[in-house]
Amino acid sequence: MGGISVGGGHGGKKNVDSDIPLVPFIDLLLCCVMFLLVTAVWNRLARLDANQQVPGQAAQQDQPPPEEQIRLYLQVTAAGYTIASTAGERIEIPKSGEDYDIDTLRTRLQERHVSEPNRRDLIVAPEDGVRYEEVVRAMDIAIGEHFVDVSLSDGAQL
Amino acid sequence: MPIHKPDRVLLHHIPLKFVRSKVAGGGRKAMDSAIPLVPFIDFLITLVVFLLSSFSASGELLSQRPNLVMPNASNAVDLELAPIIAIDARVVTLEGRRMADTQTLAATPGVERIEQLVQDLETLHRNWSILHAREPFPGTVIVQADREIDFRVVKKVMFSAAQAGYANVSFAVNRTGGS
Repeated sequence: MGGISVGGGHGGKKNVDSDIPLVPFIDLLLCCVMFLLVTAVWNRLARLDANQQVPGQAAQQDQPPPEEQIRLYLQVTAAGYTIASTAGERIEIPKSGEDYDIDTLRTRLQERHVSEPNRRDLIVAPEDGVRYEEVVRAMDIAIGEHFVDVSLSDGAQL
Repeated sequence: MPIHKPDRVLLHHIPLKFVRSKVAGGGRKAMDSAIPLVPFIDFLITLVVFLLSSFSASGELLSQRPNLVMPNASNAVDLELAPIIAIDARVVTLEGRRMADTQTLAATPGVERIEQLVQDLETLHRNWSILHAREPFPGTVIVQADREIDFRVVKKVMFSAAQAGYANVSFAVNRTGGS
Protein backbone atom coordinates (compact mmCIF):
# COMPACT_ATOMS: atom_id res chain seq x y z
CA MET A 1 0.00 0.00 0.00
CA GLY A 2 1.17 3.53 -0.56
CA GLY A 3 2.33 5.57 2.31
CA ILE A 4 4.28 8.64 3.20
CA SER A 5 7.00 8.66 5.75
CA VAL A 6 7.42 12.05 7.31
CA GLY A 7 10.18 11.05 9.67
CA GLY A 8 9.95 10.41 13.37
CA GLY A 9 8.65 7.21 14.83
CA HIS A 10 12.02 6.17 16.19
CA GLY A 11 13.07 5.36 19.69
CA GLY A 12 9.58 4.54 21.00
CA LYS A 13 7.99 7.77 19.79
CA LYS A 14 4.57 7.92 18.22
CA ASN A 15 4.62 6.70 14.61
CA VAL A 16 3.82 9.61 12.28
CA ASP A 17 3.73 7.58 9.08
CA SER A 18 0.40 7.98 7.29
CA ASP A 19 -0.94 5.71 4.59
CA ILE A 20 -2.63 7.24 1.61
CA PRO A 21 -6.02 5.52 1.22
CA LEU A 22 -5.81 4.16 -2.31
CA VAL A 23 -8.96 2.06 -2.39
CA PRO A 24 -11.40 5.04 -2.26
CA PHE A 25 -9.38 6.69 -5.00
CA ILE A 26 -9.73 3.58 -7.12
CA ASP A 27 -13.48 3.62 -6.45
CA LEU A 28 -13.63 7.24 -7.62
CA LEU A 29 -11.73 6.43 -10.81
CA LEU A 30 -13.95 3.44 -11.52
CA CYS A 31 -17.07 5.60 -11.14
CA CYS A 32 -15.58 8.16 -13.55
CA VAL A 33 -14.70 5.45 -16.06
CA MET A 34 -18.18 3.94 -15.92
CA PHE A 35 -19.87 7.31 -16.38
CA LEU A 36 -17.62 8.24 -19.30
CA LEU A 37 -18.10 4.86 -20.97
CA VAL A 38 -21.88 5.21 -20.80
CA THR A 39 -21.84 8.75 -22.20
CA ALA A 40 -19.08 8.18 -24.75
CA VAL A 41 -19.88 9.06 -28.34
CA TRP A 42 -17.90 6.77 -30.57
CA ASN A 43 -19.21 8.15 -33.87
CA ARG A 44 -17.44 11.09 -35.41
CA LEU A 45 -20.44 12.63 -37.11
CA ALA A 46 -20.58 16.15 -38.40
CA ARG A 47 -22.57 18.28 -40.84
CA LEU A 48 -22.14 20.28 -43.99
CA ASP A 49 -24.48 23.24 -44.19
CA ALA A 50 -26.20 24.37 -47.34
CA ASN A 51 -29.14 26.59 -48.02
CA GLN A 52 -31.52 26.08 -50.84
CA GLN A 53 -32.19 28.13 -53.88
CA VAL A 54 -35.91 27.49 -54.14
CA PRO A 55 -37.04 27.95 -57.76
CA GLY A 56 -40.01 30.20 -58.27
CA GLN A 57 -39.65 32.23 -55.12
CA ALA A 58 -40.95 35.67 -56.11
CA ALA A 59 -39.53 38.82 -54.56
CA GLN A 60 -41.92 40.73 -52.33
CA GLN A 61 -43.47 43.89 -53.73
CA ASP A 62 -42.27 46.18 -50.96
CA GLN A 63 -38.64 45.09 -51.24
CA PRO A 64 -36.27 46.62 -53.77
CA PRO A 65 -34.95 44.18 -56.35
CA PRO A 66 -31.62 42.67 -55.38
CA GLU A 67 -28.51 44.03 -57.01
CA GLU A 68 -27.30 42.11 -59.96
CA GLN A 69 -24.22 40.25 -58.87
CA ILE A 70 -22.13 37.65 -60.59
CA ARG A 71 -22.95 34.20 -59.33
CA LEU A 72 -20.48 31.36 -59.30
CA TYR A 73 -21.72 27.85 -60.00
CA LEU A 74 -20.20 24.45 -59.57
CA GLN A 75 -22.07 21.95 -61.69
CA VAL A 76 -21.69 18.28 -60.87
CA THR A 77 -22.61 16.17 -63.86
CA ALA A 78 -22.08 12.61 -64.95
CA ALA A 79 -19.19 13.81 -67.13
CA GLY A 80 -17.36 15.74 -64.42
CA TYR A 81 -17.33 19.20 -62.87
CA THR A 82 -18.04 22.56 -64.50
CA ILE A 83 -17.18 25.86 -62.85
CA ALA A 84 -19.27 28.58 -64.44
CA SER A 85 -20.39 32.08 -63.65
CA THR A 86 -23.17 34.37 -64.80
CA ALA A 87 -20.46 36.53 -66.38
CA GLY A 88 -20.07 33.86 -69.03
CA GLU A 89 -16.90 32.12 -68.00
CA ARG A 90 -16.86 28.35 -67.99
CA ILE A 91 -14.23 25.82 -66.93
CA GLU A 92 -14.81 22.16 -67.68
CA ILE A 93 -13.17 19.55 -65.46
CA PRO A 94 -13.85 16.17 -67.02
CA LYS A 95 -13.51 12.94 -65.10
CA SER A 96 -10.17 11.21 -65.02
CA GLY A 97 -11.22 7.73 -65.97
CA GLU A 98 -14.15 6.70 -63.84
CA ASP A 99 -13.42 9.09 -60.98
CA TYR A 100 -14.06 12.77 -60.59
CA ASP A 101 -10.92 14.90 -60.83
CA ILE A 102 -11.01 16.40 -57.38
CA ASP A 103 -7.40 17.59 -57.48
CA THR A 104 -8.06 19.77 -60.52
CA LEU A 105 -11.28 21.02 -58.96
CA ARG A 106 -9.41 21.98 -55.83
CA THR A 107 -6.75 23.79 -57.90
CA ARG A 108 -9.34 25.71 -59.91
CA LEU A 109 -11.19 26.76 -56.78
CA GLN A 110 -7.95 27.90 -55.20
CA GLU A 111 -7.22 30.02 -58.28
CA ARG A 112 -10.70 31.44 -58.12
CA HIS A 113 -10.27 32.31 -54.46
CA VAL A 114 -6.99 34.06 -55.21
CA SER A 115 -8.62 36.15 -57.94
CA GLU A 116 -11.67 36.90 -55.75
CA PRO A 117 -10.59 36.69 -52.12
CA ASN A 118 -13.81 38.29 -50.85
CA ARG A 119 -16.14 35.81 -52.49
CA ARG A 120 -17.52 33.26 -50.03
CA ASP A 121 -20.58 32.03 -51.88
CA LEU A 122 -20.81 29.19 -54.35
CA ILE A 123 -23.85 27.50 -55.83
CA VAL A 124 -23.49 23.75 -56.23
CA ALA A 125 -25.80 22.50 -58.98
CA PRO A 126 -25.83 18.71 -59.24
CA GLU A 127 -27.50 16.96 -62.13
CA ASP A 128 -30.01 14.18 -61.70
CA GLY A 129 -28.33 10.83 -61.59
CA VAL A 130 -25.22 12.00 -59.74
CA ARG A 131 -24.43 10.06 -56.61
CA TYR A 132 -25.04 11.84 -53.32
CA GLU A 133 -21.49 11.09 -52.21
CA GLU A 134 -20.06 13.04 -55.16
CA VAL A 135 -22.20 16.06 -54.36
CA VAL A 136 -21.08 16.03 -50.73
CA ARG A 137 -17.46 15.69 -51.83
CA ALA A 138 -17.81 18.71 -54.11
CA MET A 139 -19.35 20.71 -51.27
CA ASP A 140 -16.58 19.61 -48.92
CA ILE A 141 -13.89 20.72 -51.35
CA ALA A 142 -15.63 24.04 -51.91
CA ILE A 143 -15.87 24.72 -48.17
CA GLY A 144 -12.23 23.74 -47.78
CA GLU A 145 -11.26 26.34 -50.39
CA HIS A 146 -12.96 29.14 -48.43
CA PHE A 147 -16.32 29.10 -50.22
CA VAL A 148 -18.18 28.65 -46.95
CA ASP A 149 -21.60 29.90 -48.10
CA VAL A 150 -22.63 26.94 -50.20
CA SER A 151 -26.06 26.87 -51.78
CA LEU A 152 -27.68 24.02 -53.64
CA SER A 153 -29.58 24.51 -56.83
CA ASP A 154 -31.13 22.39 -59.54
CA GLY A 155 -28.50 21.62 -62.13
CA ALA A 156 -31.08 21.16 -64.84
CA GLN A 157 -32.02 24.83 -64.76
CA LEU A 158 -28.55 26.10 -65.68
CA MET B 1 24.72 -29.55 34.79
CA PRO B 2 22.31 -31.03 32.26
CA ILE B 3 23.22 -30.93 28.66
CA HIS B 4 20.83 -29.01 26.54
CA LYS B 5 20.55 -29.09 22.86
CA PRO B 6 22.09 -25.86 21.67
CA ASP B 7 19.66 -23.29 20.20
CA ARG B 8 20.30 -20.96 17.37
CA VAL B 9 22.67 -18.28 18.48
CA LEU B 10 24.07 -16.90 15.30
CA LEU B 11 23.27 -13.23 14.61
CA HIS B 12 21.18 -12.85 17.79
CA HIS B 13 23.38 -10.01 18.95
CA ILE B 14 22.23 -7.79 16.08
CA PRO B 15 19.65 -5.33 17.48
CA LEU B 16 17.41 -5.34 14.43
CA LYS B 17 13.90 -6.64 14.62
CA PHE B 18 13.70 -8.07 11.11
CA VAL B 19 17.01 -9.95 11.60
CA ARG B 20 15.80 -11.49 14.82
CA SER B 21 12.51 -12.51 13.30
CA LYS B 22 14.40 -14.24 10.50
CA VAL B 23 17.07 -16.02 12.52
CA ALA B 24 15.11 -16.87 15.66
CA GLY B 25 13.49 -19.78 13.95
CA GLY B 26 9.97 -18.60 14.70
CA GLY B 27 9.63 -16.57 11.53
CA ARG B 28 7.62 -18.10 8.73
CA LYS B 29 7.63 -17.07 5.17
CA ALA B 30 4.90 -14.49 4.76
CA MET B 31 2.05 -15.97 2.69
CA ASP B 32 0.35 -12.61 2.21
CA SER B 33 1.05 -10.87 -1.04
CA ALA B 34 0.12 -7.23 -1.47
CA ILE B 35 -1.93 -6.37 -4.51
CA PRO B 36 -0.02 -3.72 -6.46
CA LEU B 37 -2.54 -0.89 -6.50
CA VAL B 38 -0.39 1.87 -7.91
CA PRO B 39 -0.13 0.39 -11.45
CA PHE B 40 -3.88 -0.20 -11.39
CA ILE B 41 -4.42 3.44 -10.51
CA ASP B 42 -2.09 4.44 -13.37
CA PHE B 43 -4.19 2.36 -15.76
CA LEU B 44 -7.44 3.92 -14.53
CA ILE B 45 -6.07 7.43 -14.80
CA THR B 46 -4.94 6.75 -18.38
CA LEU B 47 -8.40 5.40 -19.21
CA VAL B 48 -10.15 8.41 -17.65
CA VAL B 49 -7.92 10.85 -19.53
CA PHE B 50 -8.65 9.07 -22.83
CA LEU B 51 -12.40 9.04 -22.25
CA LEU B 52 -12.40 12.68 -21.14
CA SER B 53 -10.62 13.69 -24.34
CA SER B 54 -13.33 12.03 -26.43
CA PHE B 55 -16.22 13.27 -24.30
CA SER B 56 -18.92 15.14 -26.18
CA ALA B 57 -21.33 17.28 -24.22
CA SER B 58 -23.85 17.28 -27.05
CA GLY B 59 -24.26 13.55 -26.92
CA GLU B 60 -25.23 11.35 -29.83
CA LEU B 61 -27.72 13.12 -32.08
CA LEU B 62 -27.57 10.56 -34.84
CA SER B 63 -27.40 6.81 -34.65
CA GLN B 64 -25.51 4.74 -37.15
CA ARG B 65 -27.70 2.44 -39.18
CA PRO B 66 -26.38 -0.74 -40.77
CA ASN B 67 -27.95 -0.08 -44.19
CA LEU B 68 -27.00 3.57 -44.38
CA VAL B 69 -23.39 4.53 -45.02
CA MET B 70 -22.86 8.28 -44.98
CA PRO B 71 -20.23 10.03 -47.08
CA ASN B 72 -17.04 11.41 -45.57
CA ALA B 73 -16.04 15.05 -45.28
CA SER B 74 -13.15 16.86 -43.67
CA ASN B 75 -14.46 20.42 -43.53
CA ALA B 76 -17.58 19.70 -41.52
CA VAL B 77 -18.81 21.24 -38.28
CA ASP B 78 -20.52 19.75 -35.25
CA LEU B 79 -24.06 18.52 -35.47
CA GLU B 80 -26.87 20.51 -33.91
CA LEU B 81 -30.30 19.42 -32.84
CA ALA B 82 -32.78 19.46 -35.72
CA PRO B 83 -35.35 17.13 -37.31
CA ILE B 84 -33.60 14.24 -39.02
CA ILE B 85 -34.61 12.96 -42.44
CA ALA B 86 -32.94 9.63 -43.20
CA ILE B 87 -32.70 8.36 -46.77
CA ASP B 88 -31.55 4.83 -47.40
CA ALA B 89 -31.92 2.55 -50.41
CA ARG B 90 -35.48 1.57 -49.52
CA VAL B 91 -37.27 4.28 -47.57
CA VAL B 92 -37.26 7.95 -46.60
CA THR B 93 -38.02 8.52 -42.92
CA LEU B 94 -38.56 11.57 -40.72
CA GLU B 95 -37.60 10.97 -37.09
CA GLY B 96 -38.01 7.26 -37.71
CA ARG B 97 -41.43 7.50 -39.37
CA ARG B 98 -41.78 6.30 -42.95
CA MET B 99 -42.48 9.09 -45.42
CA ALA B 100 -41.84 7.78 -48.92
CA ASP B 101 -40.29 5.02 -50.97
CA THR B 102 -36.80 5.82 -52.26
CA GLN B 103 -37.07 3.79 -55.46
CA THR B 104 -40.28 5.56 -56.45
CA LEU B 105 -38.73 8.96 -55.86
CA ALA B 106 -35.64 8.06 -57.88
CA ALA B 107 -37.69 6.78 -60.80
CA THR B 108 -39.72 9.91 -61.46
CA PRO B 109 -37.96 12.92 -62.98
CA GLY B 110 -38.57 16.49 -61.97
CA VAL B 111 -39.02 18.08 -58.58
CA GLU B 112 -42.15 17.14 -56.66
CA ARG B 113 -43.49 17.44 -53.14
CA ILE B 114 -43.51 14.52 -50.77
CA GLU B 115 -46.87 15.29 -49.19
CA GLN B 116 -46.49 13.26 -46.01
CA LEU B 117 -43.07 14.78 -45.39
CA VAL B 118 -44.36 18.31 -45.94
CA GLN B 119 -47.28 17.78 -43.56
CA ASP B 120 -45.14 16.29 -40.80
CA LEU B 121 -42.52 19.01 -41.14
CA GLU B 122 -45.20 21.68 -41.00
CA THR B 123 -46.46 20.07 -37.80
CA LEU B 124 -42.97 20.16 -36.34
CA HIS B 125 -42.68 23.78 -37.43
CA ARG B 126 -45.92 24.71 -35.65
CA ASN B 127 -44.92 22.82 -32.54
CA TRP B 128 -41.55 24.50 -32.46
CA SER B 129 -43.12 27.95 -32.81
CA ILE B 130 -45.45 27.20 -29.89
CA LEU B 131 -42.65 25.93 -27.67
CA HIS B 132 -40.19 28.68 -28.62
CA ALA B 133 -42.47 31.64 -29.11
CA ARG B 134 -39.82 34.30 -28.62
CA GLU B 135 -37.06 32.71 -30.67
CA PRO B 136 -36.63 32.98 -34.41
CA PHE B 137 -37.29 29.73 -36.22
CA PRO B 138 -33.96 28.26 -37.37
CA GLY B 139 -35.49 26.35 -40.27
CA THR B 140 -32.80 23.70 -40.29
CA VAL B 141 -33.25 20.03 -41.07
CA ILE B 142 -30.61 17.28 -41.02
CA VAL B 143 -30.44 14.97 -44.03
CA GLN B 144 -28.80 11.63 -43.27
CA ALA B 145 -28.49 9.85 -46.60
CA ASP B 146 -26.66 6.84 -47.92
CA ARG B 147 -23.72 7.69 -50.15
CA GLU B 148 -25.08 5.68 -53.10
CA ILE B 149 -28.42 7.50 -53.25
CA ASP B 150 -29.26 9.34 -56.47
CA PHE B 151 -29.19 13.04 -55.73
CA ARG B 152 -32.60 13.33 -57.40
CA VAL B 153 -34.12 11.81 -54.25
CA VAL B 154 -32.26 14.24 -52.00
CA LYS B 155 -33.39 17.11 -54.19
CA LYS B 156 -37.05 16.13 -53.76
CA VAL B 157 -36.59 15.84 -50.01
CA MET B 158 -34.95 19.25 -49.88
CA PHE B 159 -37.75 20.74 -51.97
CA SER B 160 -40.36 19.30 -49.64
CA ALA B 161 -38.48 20.60 -46.62
CA ALA B 162 -38.33 24.06 -48.16
CA GLN B 163 -42.08 23.95 -48.77
CA ALA B 164 -42.56 23.33 -45.05
CA GLY B 165 -40.33 26.27 -44.11
CA TYR B 166 -37.05 24.43 -43.61
CA ALA B 167 -34.78 26.29 -46.02
CA ASN B 168 -31.50 25.30 -44.41
CA VAL B 169 -30.24 21.79 -44.87
CA SER B 170 -27.42 20.13 -42.95
CA PHE B 171 -25.98 17.02 -44.54
CA ALA B 172 -24.79 14.50 -41.97
CA VAL B 173 -21.34 13.15 -42.80
CA ASN B 174 -18.58 11.12 -41.23
CA ARG B 175 -15.84 13.48 -40.14
CA THR B 176 -12.42 12.51 -41.46
CA GLY B 177 -9.19 14.34 -40.60
CA GLY B 178 -9.20 18.12 -41.10
CA SER B 179 -10.95 20.33 -38.57
